[in-house]
Amino acid sequence: MLGTPYPEKQMHRIAYTKLTKEQIAAQLDPVAQRGPTCVSPLATDFAGESLKIVTDDGPALKYEFASNTELSVAEDGGKAIHAGFGALEMDHICLFTHMIPGTQRGYTVVVDRKSRLATVIELWFSGYEDNREVQRQIYYGYIDGGGDVPKKRHEPTDRLEGRGYHWRQDTGMETLEYYPSAGYSHFVELSRTGGELGFCAPSDYVMLDNDFFVYTRTECEFSGAFTAYVIDMNRTEQMGLRLGFDEGDNLQYYLFRGHGDIVGQIARFEKFGDYSGDPIPAPKGKDGKPVKGGRMVYRPIKTMEKLTQEEVAKVVKEKSAAFPDRTATGGAAGMATNALPANDFLAGKTFTLRYDNGPVMEYKVDSADELNWRMDGEGEWTKARYQAYEVAPGLFLFGHLLEGAPNHDGHIIAVDFHQGLVTCYNGFLNTPYFANEAGARILFGVLEMHGIQPPMYRRHGRTTEMLGRCITYSYAPGLTSMHLYSTPHTVSWIIFTPDGHGGMEWSGPGGFVKIRDGIYFMYWLEEACNGTLGTILLNLNIMHDAGIGYFCGARGLDMSQIGAVVRHAGKFEVDKYF
Amino acid sequence: MTKDITPTRRRFLKGGALLAAPVAIASVSAVALADDGLKARVRRLEDEAAIRELHQSWLRQVNTGDRDALLDSAVRRITADHTGAPDKIEIAADGRSAVGCFDHAVDVETPLANDCTLAQMAHAQGYGTICRTERRMLTIDYTKSSGCWKIGKVA
Repeated sequence: MLGTPYPEKQMHRIAYTKLTKEQIAAQLDPVAQRGPTCVSPLATDFAGESLKIVTDDGPALKYEFASNTELSVAEDGGKAIHAGFGALEMDHICLFTHMIPGTQRGYTVVVDRKSRLATVIELWFSGYEDNREVQRQIYYGYIDGGGDVPKKRHEPTDRLEGRGYHWRQDTGMETLEYYPSAGYSHFVELSRTGGELGFCAPSDYVMLDNDFFVYTRTECEFSGAFTAYVIDMNRTEQMGLRLGFDEGDNLQYYLFRGHGDIVGQIARFEKFGDYSGDPIPAPKGKDGKPVKGGRMVYRPIKTMEKLTQEEVAKVVKEKSAAFPDRTATGGAAGMATNALPANDFLAGKTFTLRYDNGPVMEYKVDSADELNWRMDGEGEWTKARYQAYEVAPGLFLFGHLLEGAPNHDGHIIAVDFHQGLVTCYNGFLNTPYFANEAGARILFGVLEMHGIQPPMYRRHGRTTEMLGRCITYSYAPGLTSMHLYSTPHTVSWIIFTPDGHGGMEWSGPGGFVKIRDGIYFMYWLEEACNGTLGTILLNLNIMHDAGIGYFCGARGLDMSQIGAVVRHAGKFEVDKYF
Repeated sequence: MTKDITPTRRRFLKGGALLAAPVAIASVSAVALADDGLKARVRRLEDEAAIRELHQSWLRQVNTGDRDALLDSAVRRITADHTGAPDKIEIAADGRSAVGCFDHAVDVETPLANDCTLAQMAHAQGYGTICRTERRMLTIDYTKSSGCWKIGKVA
């Protein structure tokens, strides 16, 4: 049967239904009665058993198991409620999950029979302005069997940070899952959506013991679905659950088992000896106490300036600025604090950049910051402000806006005077979703200039040599991020907390071109985020880059310098999955 | 041989008498002079002690987050730098003003401008500032009125 796995819309473009409480309840109630489904056999030997779990600052749960799929639960000594449940086991770890009929809540409990410790995850719908987004609160406690109260607890950890897995679930679901942060994670759905893009989700990492860990993610800003699993680190196996509504608004509540491969382990940047987790402080209420289920979530689409085509035309006309002078106060100025110095090599030169399947751009460069350009030999020359940076001997990055272009284009160009080759990231606006959200196309071509004979056939080309790599970029004091190149078409960026934990993470479509050995020209689009086109020409021989950003907002159309000192954090081996 | 040597005791006594004399004479003028000098020195020491105490009290205010303490708003914490120059307090001749110089490590927090994605993410996760520690020689002006020292300007 013909077909591809690619969705009509990627996750970040789907307008997920704002489900009502009633719509959620209608699907939840029957599921709460019967419990989760599972392709693999459920754990047995529950019939007639009872379990009491006490948690710190959380509920005490008393369970009576009538069978392998039916239980009753009493919260904090209250009335026992009957519900369907399902359980899986790995060695001494048991995971079971149930909803509470008549409510939008449920629990997933992870019990360690050896240590008698328990992690309880309370889950609920209709706890956020978007009812479909699953909320969670994690409690740590123990099995109360009448003996001594254990002193230790399961705890949040950074010891999974830097790990990457390929997972294949018993449902057929195949994913790449990266943990480049101690508070977020990045997932690529290889089977369900074809693996073109990866996406980010706030996550929890809990250490049960040295061999077993719990991972959770909530797909906030997408479907709102929740996934949690226990990882057997030695056997690279998982058991877990998924709860939430898919893009068709169908409720998913199932347990799964999976087998995996470790695709790599990158560096962590906390001080040696710091194994703490939960690095992103949770919000507090007006009383100064933690909010149940509270977590800081990056929701860029909420704060993104969204302009119409008419508004874009107006701000571009009134407020375009290429490489304006900036004071060093951080932010966009901070993105250039560690930048390479502007270079005047192009001053006084005349040359043509001839793009295959693209325009022929003629240049007469007046000075270190002003050039004249003409497209396809037509019309008058247009003056433009530019900046250029020499990233390697004879290799320059320069950029300028194309005043008068219908989509307010900008060209960001890597031009190699030793090879006669050029690659341009052509940024443009008036894209389908938000008019000020940048799009980009890649143009390959040659440099024509007196004394330079360009190649006839050879061109720069797209590359997968950066696939799986993680690079940290230190733009300025206090402004360091790490890139994760998770698919051939994705750039993800993670920012750090002051003590070196990976913190919040986001991602967007991107592209990768090899310019020379060790030198790569990359771009990313901050779609459904801030609308920026970011570009960098990275030279791994000097561990430095030069970059140019292209951004349109209410302040105008802006082309500005980016630059960072870099470190190589490691590489995930994922080529074979693409 | 010993004719020229007056027995020590007697010489001492003689000397003592000579010494005593100035003392005896001083019991009128030198002692009075010494008394004034001593008072001035005691006053100076008391003033220095009061200023040091005031400085410690001010440091406690700053370090417990009292924003009314006279500071630039970026300062979060000040600690003594014992590897730096020793504290210096100069009290004016009239005893009504003083200048203190204190070598300290100053923790400064500057907000990240919220105008790029990374800065916006840093703010979203609750860490939208840049922290650094600087070595600063704090120069503090003091004035004395009604017997109490007060902090004037902090630079």
